[in-house]
Amino acid sequence: MIKNYFKIAFRNLWNNKLFSLIKISSLAIGLSVSFVIGLMVYYDFTFDKFHPDKDYIYRVTTEFVTPEGSFYNPGVSFPLGDALKQNSASLAAVAPFLTTYPLHIKNTVTDKTFKNPDYVIYADKGFFNVFKYRWLAGSKESALESPNQLVLSEKRAKKYFPNTNYTDIIGAHMVYNDTINMQVTGVVANFTERTDIVFEEFISLKTAHQSDMTSAVLSSNWNGTNSASQLFIKTSKNANAKNVQLALNKLAKEHKDPNEAEFGNERKFYMQPLQKMHFDTNYYTFDFDSELASKSVLISLGCVALFLLLLGSINFINLNTAQATQRAKEIGVRKTLGGSKKQLIYQFLGETFLLTTCAAIVSIVLSFWLLNIFSDYIPAGLSSELFAEPTVIIFVVLLLLAVTFLSGFYPAVVLSHFKPIAVLKNQIIATNDKTSLRKYLTVFQFIIAQVFIIATLLVGKQISFLLQKDMGFKTEAIASVRAPWFAMTPEKQQRLLTKIKAIPEVNKVSLAEYPPASFSTSATNTSYFDDTNAPVHTELQLLYGDKNYLDIYGIELLAGRKQNNDSITEYVINQTYMRMLGFKKPEDALGKIIKADGEQNPIVGVMKDFNQRSLKTAIKPLAFVGTGGANSSFKTFHISFANVNGENLPVTTKKLESAWNEVYTDEPFELVFMDNTIKRFYSQERKTALLLNWATGLAIVISCLGLLGLVVYTTERRTKEIGIRKVLGASLLELNVLLSKEFLSLVLIAFIIAAPIAYFGIDYWLQDFAHKTKLSWWIFAVSGVIMLLIAMLIMGVRTYISSTKNPIKSLRTE
Amino acid sequence: MLLELNNIYKWVQSGGQKIFLLKDINLKVEEGEFISIMGPSGSGKSTLLNIIGMLDVFNEGEYNFLDEPVHSLKEKHRSNLYKQYIGFVFQAYHLLDELTVYENLEMPLLYKKYSSSERKALVADMLDKFNIVGKQNLFPSQLSGGQQQLVGIARALISSPKLILADEPTGNLNSKQGEEIMEIFKELNKDGVTIVQVTHSEKNATYGSRTINLLDGRKI
Repeated sequence: MIKNYFKIAFRNLWNNKLFSLIKISSLAIGLSVSFVIGLMVYYDFTFDKFHPDKDYIYRVTTEFVTPEGSFYNPGVSFPLGDALKQNSASLAAVAPFLTTYPLHIKNTVTDKTFKNPDYVIYADKGFFNVFKYRWLAGSKESALESPNQLVLSEKRAKKYFPNTNYTDIIGAHMVYNDTINMQVTGVVANFTERTDIVFEEFISLKTAHQSDMTSAVLSSNWNGTNSASQLFIKTSKNANAKNVQLALNKLAKEHKDPNEAEFGNERKFYMQPLQKMHFDTNYYTFDFDSELASKSVLISLGCVALFLLLLGSINFINLNTAQATQRAKEIGVRKTLGGSKKQLIYQFLGETFLLTTCAAIVSIVLSFWLLNIFSDYIPAGLSSELFAEPTVIIFVVLLLLAVTFLSGFYPAVVLSHFKPIAVLKNQIIATNDKTSLRKYLTVFQFIIAQVFIIATLLVGKQISFLLQKDMGFKTEAIASVRAPWFAMTPEKQQRLLTKIKAIPEVNKVSLAEYPPASFSTSATNTSYFDDTNAPVHTELQLLYGDKNYLDIYGIELLAGRKQNNDSITEYVINQTYMRMLGFKKPEDALGKIIKADGEQNPIVGVMKDFNQRSLKTAIKPLAFVGTGGANSSFKTFHISFANVNGENLPVTTKKLESAWNEVYTDEPFELVFMDNTIKRFYSQERKTALLLNWATGLAIVISCLGLLGLVVYTTERRTKEIGIRKVLGASLLELNVLLSKEFLSLVLIAFIIAAPIAYFGIDYWLQDFAHKTKLSWWIFAVSGVIMLLIAMLIMGVRTYISSTKNPIKSLRTE
Repeated sequence: MLLELNNIYKWVQSGGQKIFLLKDINLKVEEGEFISIMGPSGSGKSTLLNIIGMLDVFNEGEYNFLDEPVHSLKEKHRSNLYKQYIGFVFQAYHLLDELTVYENLEMPLLYKKYSSSERKALVADMLDKFNIVGKQNLFPSQLSGGQQQLVGIARALISSPKLILADEPTGNLNSKQGEEIMEIFKELNKDGVTIVQVTHSEKNATYGSRTINLLDGRKI
């Protein structure tokens, strides 16, 4: 029986190659996108699921509640760890640790040095009580008891001591930063499952007191919070997490900073469950290379997958019911020969499953390709090997069954309801099949495609708007290069400065901190006391640089002057801050005193507003501080070029690089162009755009395949009508109009429904931006025309073929 | 007695008017009969045949098949009844184009839960009986009309029904092929199979033991 079904199914597929191809390819597109996106969702949702005590592990973090909103810091003040250790019986383990970034580590046995080891922390045995590592050498109890002890991960052990037994490594000496002598006391296996606990080298916490972390440890009191000083805890199994939180609240209250409280600021300790760490954008994980997974991105990706899958299924339903008349005879015969309705439904569902499986096989191949295209979205750890995981396999099978049911059930029911005699006497043809449902489904497909088209155009418009909008300062032909902080001496710095100045293509050089717009900010709390009005407390962003800085970036002074010399702190404020202070005219602000960190800083100038970050955010109060009053050594060289174009740019860069190499022999030369930085502000938006482009393309392809199928079917069904009309004298054009009219009206209806949906969707998306492009009507018109043209092209080809057929032939065969 | 129709009426509503397809049909068929139903187009021949074959329903009257009251049976019982006792032969053959001759013959058996070895034996038997062993792997489109109808008859016979219903079995064939098919019916009838055929041809009607003439839904 089953064999017979498969035979019939296969031969049916084979005999209707075009329709089968349409069905399989549209399902395959939907499925492969679903597979890839499903893998991404699965990947990100299965982080740190393997720890035996995963539900009891928390990271304690700090939230600062201020009148301007909340600020988050993944660190806690260092004494909290000790306080919790003494304090609480409800905690099974407390693991304070410090993240650190050593410059290099030397293996004293082989005398080899390794640069910039990452994922290094200071920790004690509490860390290994919270997280269960497998010990390959040494033991949890003693490994990090005393100062100058070091535990390596298996990976690092292999890197530093190639071809050595783990037990032989024990006792070997390693030296960090030329000064800190460490003895290896243990080797632990790396976690093999997906995890955000990525640490590789563990230095005993007691070492911190005598190393570069001294300041973080010793000077740290209850009032300081350093993101390097973090804390994991594990609650006891019978303890209530709420009580632990209460204990933390109590500690926060006991040790609150009276100064902060005066400003209305409050510190809270927050227990971040390990399970939430992967998605929590407030606190970040420890792996800075990979972007944090975003739930909202995953959800929108999921929607895209769902839509594409739906579109594929709709093609299936449409084409299957359209083809029903072809299968009608088979159904009639089977019924008269004893087949029951149920058997027929199973048969058709089986056929659908066969098709779906074919599509699945195609789509697995496709998804490897898609994994490449979407590599920007895809975390590095995600590979096609995930396909072999049992959960994924079960998901794939379930998905196939769901798709089979979704797309096969309705056609199966329609087909199996045919009355055998009606079918056998050819009464079923054309008149009473379910054209209306097919129309709804087609309209639905076109709505989705249309929404995608409009969204793509508008997102593209917004991005180009952002990139082209004036930031308020010069962004072209300006680059900056950052000197390594550890190799900075004023002497080297001046040498490089002179060398850069000597290059003819360089217009101006400035030694400063960050560029006017960047990912990094420094800020301070300021107060302004007026005689009449209430005092203004606000966070003020600070920009540091020498005298050339404002000139290089073309930032205009509206009143006052730049800093006179390097020894006094003087503020040049922007218009936003000026207005915040209550001044209408720039001149009025001059000479006023701003209080910050206990110092009195005079305003000497007012500069024009410019955007300090992407145009998503509004302009914040800012002051240009010059050199900050101290003889501080800036690390970033800002260079503006003269007469540099695409041709001589590489030459100029080369010259800069050789100047750099003469001063900093070992350090990499990384020139950052300002316009590239601005582009990077919008990486998320450009990813969205890429995603939308693909979704649009695929949605159009699937919908058009479906349309093609339906057009083929309709024209075949109407062969006789076309023949008769032709015999009676209809022209080619008239016939084409007649045949296309039906479908064009569907496209139009879809447009009418899609336009407002797209409008509100994009309007919602644009709310994240401080500067928005206009939702111009012509975008909608253009996208409607695009859809219409594509649909007409497809129909035109097909209807042309059928209307040019010789009517004698079609009438005879009918 | 194989079946009995008593006062069968069938009508359809058209514009508020009843149009009668069958009017007061009474018919008794004994086992072993070979009946021909004749009449002009639209006289209700095929409708009557479909009602006998339980593929169509009637509005009034009684139908007993092997002493079972068909008119009061549930759909499921009815289909079991015709599955077991009735074989159909169609004017347009209605073989499944996607299946080979062998598979077409096998199909009714699949719906009747025969074991695979039984199916093989029965199909081989039929192929043998109708001399089409050599064509078993061909598809219907590769056969002539006569050969296709041969397969159609073989398929109707394969589950050894008591009654064969044939709707113009020779309608799509040339005269020579038609004659051959009628000879086969005659042979089958001799072997004890009851046959009811609808035909336009006087000559074919003479193969039967009894002729029923219909005009505008009435027996005359």
